Amino acid sequence: MIVFASALTFFFVNLAPGGPASVMRFDVTAEQREALIKRMGLDRPVTQRYVEWVAGAVRGDLGSSLLTDEPVAQRIGERLPNTLTLAGAALVLSIGIGIPIGLIQALRRESALDHVLSLLSATGLAVPVFWLGIVLILIFAVSLRVLPSAGVTGIAADTIAERLRHLVLPAVVLATTVLPTVVRFMRSAAIEVLHEDYIRTAASKGLAPRVVVTRHVLRNALIPVVSAIGALVPRLLGGAVVTEQVFSWPGLGRLALEAAQGRDYPLIIGLTVVAASIAVVTTLIVDIAYTRIDPRVRLG
Amino acid sequence: MTRIGYAALATLSVIALLALVGPLFWTIPPETTNPAQGLAVSSAAHPLGTDELGRDVLSRLLHGSRVTLLVGVAAMLAALSIGVIVGAIAAFRGGWLDALLMRFTDGMLAVPAFFFILVVITVLGPGVGTLVVVIGALSWMPVARVVYGETLRWKNAEFVVAAASLGVPAPRLLARHILPQAIPSLVVSATLGVAFAILTESALSYLGLGVQPPLPSWGNMLQRAQQYVFTAPALAIYPGLAITAVVLAFNFVGDGLRDALDPRSRR
Amino acid sequence: MRPALSTFLLRATSLTVVAALAVSACTSATQPGASTAPSAQAGPVAGGTVTIPIGADPTLNPWSPNAFVESLFINRAIFDGLTKPGKDLAPAPDLAESWTTASDGLSWTFKLRSGVKWSDGKPFSADDVAFTFNDVVLKPDLGAQNRASYAAVKSVTVVDANTVRFDLTRKFAALASFLAYNAGILPKHVLSADPLKTTSFNKGVPVSTGPFKVEKYTSGQSVSLVRNENYFGAKPYLEKVVFTVVPDPNTQIAQALSGDLQIMILDNKAAVDRVKSASGLLVVSRPLVQYYWLSLNQTDSRFTDVRVRQAFVHAIDRQAIIKSVELGYGSIANSPITPALKAYYDPSLASKYPYDPAKATELLKAAGWTPGAGGVLQKDGKPFVFTMDVGQRGVLEPVNALIQQDLKKVGVTVELNTMEWNAYIQKDVVRREYTATVNWWTYPSDPDVFPYYHSSAAGKRFNIPGYQDPRLDDLLVQGQSASDLETRKAVYKELQRYTSEVLPYLFLWYPQEIDVLSSALQGVPELGLRDSMHYIGEWWLAKK
Repeated sequence: MIVFASALTFFFVNLAPGGPASVMRFDVTAEQREALIKRMGLDRPVTQRYVEWVAGAVRGDLGSSLLTDEPVAQRIGERLPNTLTLAGAALVLSIGIGIPIGLIQALRRESALDHVLSLLSATGLAVPVFWLGIVLILIFAVSLRVLPSAGVTGIAADTIAERLRHLVLPAVVLATTVLPTVVRFMRSAAIEVLHEDYIRTAASKGLAPRVVVTRHVLRNALIPVVSAIGALVPRLLGGAVVTEQVFSWPGLGRLALEAAQGRDYPLIIGLTVVAASIAVVTTLIVDIAYTRIDPRVRLG
Repeated sequence: MTRIGYAALATLSVIALLALVGPLFWTIPPETTNPAQGLAVSSAAHPLGTDELGRDVLSRLLHGSRVTLLVGVAAMLAALSIGVIVGAIAAFRGGWLDALLMRFTDGMLAVPAFFFILVVITVLGPGVGTLVVVIGALSWMPVARVVYGETLRWKNAEFVVAAASLGVPAPRLLARHILPQAIPSLVVSATLGVAFAILTESALSYLGLGVQPPLPSWGNMLQRAQQYVFTAPALAIYPGLAITAVVLAFNFVGDGLRDALDPRSRR
Repeated sequence: MRPALSTFLLRATSLTVVAALAVSACTSATQPGASTAPSAQAGPVAGGTVTIPIGADPTLNPWSPNAFVESLFINRAIFDGLTKPGKDLAPAPDLAESWTTASDGLSWTFKLRSGVKWSDGKPFSADDVAFTFNDVVLKPDLGAQNRASYAAVKSVTVVDANTVRFDLTRKFAALASFLAYNAGILPKHVLSADPLKTTSFNKGVPVSTGPFKVEKYTSGQSVSLVRNENYFGAKPYLEKVVFTVVPDPNTQIAQALSGDLQIMILDNKAAVDRVKSASGLLVVSRPLVQYYWLSLNQTDSRFTDVRVRQAFVHAIDRQAIIKSVELGYGSIANSPITPALKAYYDPSLASKYPYDPAKATELLKAAGWTPGAGGVLQKDGKPFVFTMDVGQRGVLEPVNALIQQDLKKVGVTVELNTMEWNAYIQKDVVRREYTATVNWWTYPSDPDVFPYYHSSAAGKRFNIPGYQDPRLDDLLVQGQSASDLETRKAVYKELQRYTSEVLPYLFLWYPQEIDVLSSALQGVPELGLRDSMHYIGEWWLAKK
């Protein structure tokens, strides 16, 4: 799967019009261009370059970035934790807020509260991310001055508190791209469970509604939600691109954008491989979690 | 269908109507510039004001609605076509083809769509056609899954087996007998698909990779309005609201339809 | 309440709330708080940190092909060249104390300062200058940036430890100015192995001679500079300078408003009023050596008639473009010499080609274009329709939209082909497959515009329209060869007059730069920020 993706991307990307940004400059003469292309080895045929790349990749060497001459693996490695932190925080927020809300909506189905919450969460999904980002920056960073507007951590001090402060706004903004989906899934899953016989049995047994809800409804509703969450991770990674741009968050999303615009071929391929790997890993994790939660499903 | 669903449907109809006939009534062209009157506030001549080059916002919004809705619907149709074909064939044929196709589907689902779109658009160059193809190519998977499930469900139903034994060839079986059962689910997927396509188009336009100016789309109106967030926030509010409203409406219609069509969720 | 109504009310409320928040966020920071103008200070005080935003990770090597716009700010603060732009933009001494030109104009001798040390303590000498030029800039296969500017330099010879001589293939009056333009000297003892790709240097902590040196480079986040104890000049007042990576222009503005940075270039000029109204910030306009132009490919026979070119200039409302796109921060251009080059600029040409669509139509008619179907001009049965390629960067998109509309009014139909920047360069610059396009030139503080106008530069070099004119060539070479200021002034005056007549490029406007400064920041010269960076040792922060 990864091999397929990398090959596809390699050939595809090299088809792109234009070239590495250092070559595609207004103030570069034709001779300079030729010299640079030669230095970057881009004058050799694509297939040859691919073979070389695979040979290197197997050894863990993903080549050097065309725009900075640093090893691709290093560039990705520097930014990966930042994106994971951001995505992770957004995911935690979405789950932490989304599941209770979905549950409440299911319990109060068709009520005014249900409608309002649906409206709010759907609005969150529909509001353009960059707009939300800049509005929040204006409110919290400029007007109220309580939260910072850019970066991962403070320049002066790099403490956990500073990092958390910088994480809040971007995580919230990124969370709005998936929170509504979590809510919706939880809501429909919970609704389905609520109609199951065993719930009515539990209720008729005289168990306090609270217990019924938490132990039975929640547990069983979580099953489909967990697998849905797995599907959300790729979307989070994608949504991170814009969020990272607005909040100057040095993550993979921004790196991908720069790489694509600057035609940094090795970096683009490297990023695709990493993205595909992350996807594979998350699917695996979700599958495993699924088997742990749902007693009816066993691997194999 | 729920009342919200109906309300949303009504909203969508109004918007569709506006998109279709609006420009016939509101005839100010969307690309006529008038720099002297840039960033004007609403007036009788320009009910929604003008943008930075003096172009009428209402007109751009109306023309933009055509483009945005076109991209949304076309991308959704592309996704639908691919998804139906993949899902139906996989479920119908079964065996190794099933495994291959569904594995492929799962694989595609795992790819972070945005990264991929970024790379592809950089290669193919931005434009309405590329957008439709790319968004469609990355959102067919849920459709495939739905169709897969439905095909599996119905392929062994009595009337299908009966038709098969009468010699009805497979494609006709699929088209005439099985797939129509899936139509309700497909409609739900379609509405959600349009919503997703519209949102993706606006995000891509923010990055400069969506519909190219001077052709207006809500997404690229937002992108230009970015610069004026401090001086004329209304420029971002109108297209932003429009996108939000349409996406919301499609989502509600989809939800409403799903609630209405799923017998288990009836009270 | 019926759900439909409640939904509507909810929507209306959320709309109002959001709009109110946006508007209030805009206005709430305008409270006329206590003015932060510093109390009367005796003079500069030492200490403090200045934060400056840049758009992406810099490459700390002025000659690397990967050193883009964001790199040059830092590079000018840490690397010194032989000369630097003076406060009047004439070349001023930096690493070179003085220089002389041989009588035949084919060699220049630079006397270097003595006692200069690199930031790692090693001594600087003429060897470093020779290394930078002979082994880096002039080596074609290394692909160093700006190499084309030194086409006239044959080699650099070390005369003694503190003297170098540039040997030229032809007269090059502008050499000293070019050496002030992103031409920092590199340390031989560090980079002799791999001058342009040593990442511990380019992306880490380089060795430099400037008033500041790099302390730490955090990729994607910031580069911080501290005082260079080995600097040859006066100790800088500021203790630290931090460049933060902030790619989004709106976020940069938000940071300025919240006091998180002390100086920045306001790329998004539309926000100028908002920033002006904020307390604690100063907004100033600065001159730039830059002009925007419209290039009509001279291989297209429709554009070889000068009347057509002149007609276009009359048809385009340049003042309106300046007003709406540059918010008035600019002036109309009719030649390649910018007002910033005060010694050479001829202001008498400023009012040439006023906005006059009638005159444009007249000129087009004289060139054989008459109205055809639908009001579109036509000649020999062919309508005047062509495509303009638009690169997605800066103000190009709105400018092209305005030009399209202006040309439509005189019967010329323009179709806009908007392209991603990289692909645009490939098509228009590398392959020169274009009909018309708008862009700009930025160049060193010298009127020598030979590279952009000479006929030898057509096709593969920087003469984008491909305009070839012996008289123009003559003037360009004269300007390069003249050695004294008065002769050059006369030559370039004539050049300005001539180019405004024949319009090799259609000159559009000279932009100005808007800088935003914290009112506590003092000592910044009245130059564009790029040139001010050379004086960063003189900046200081007033205490509140």
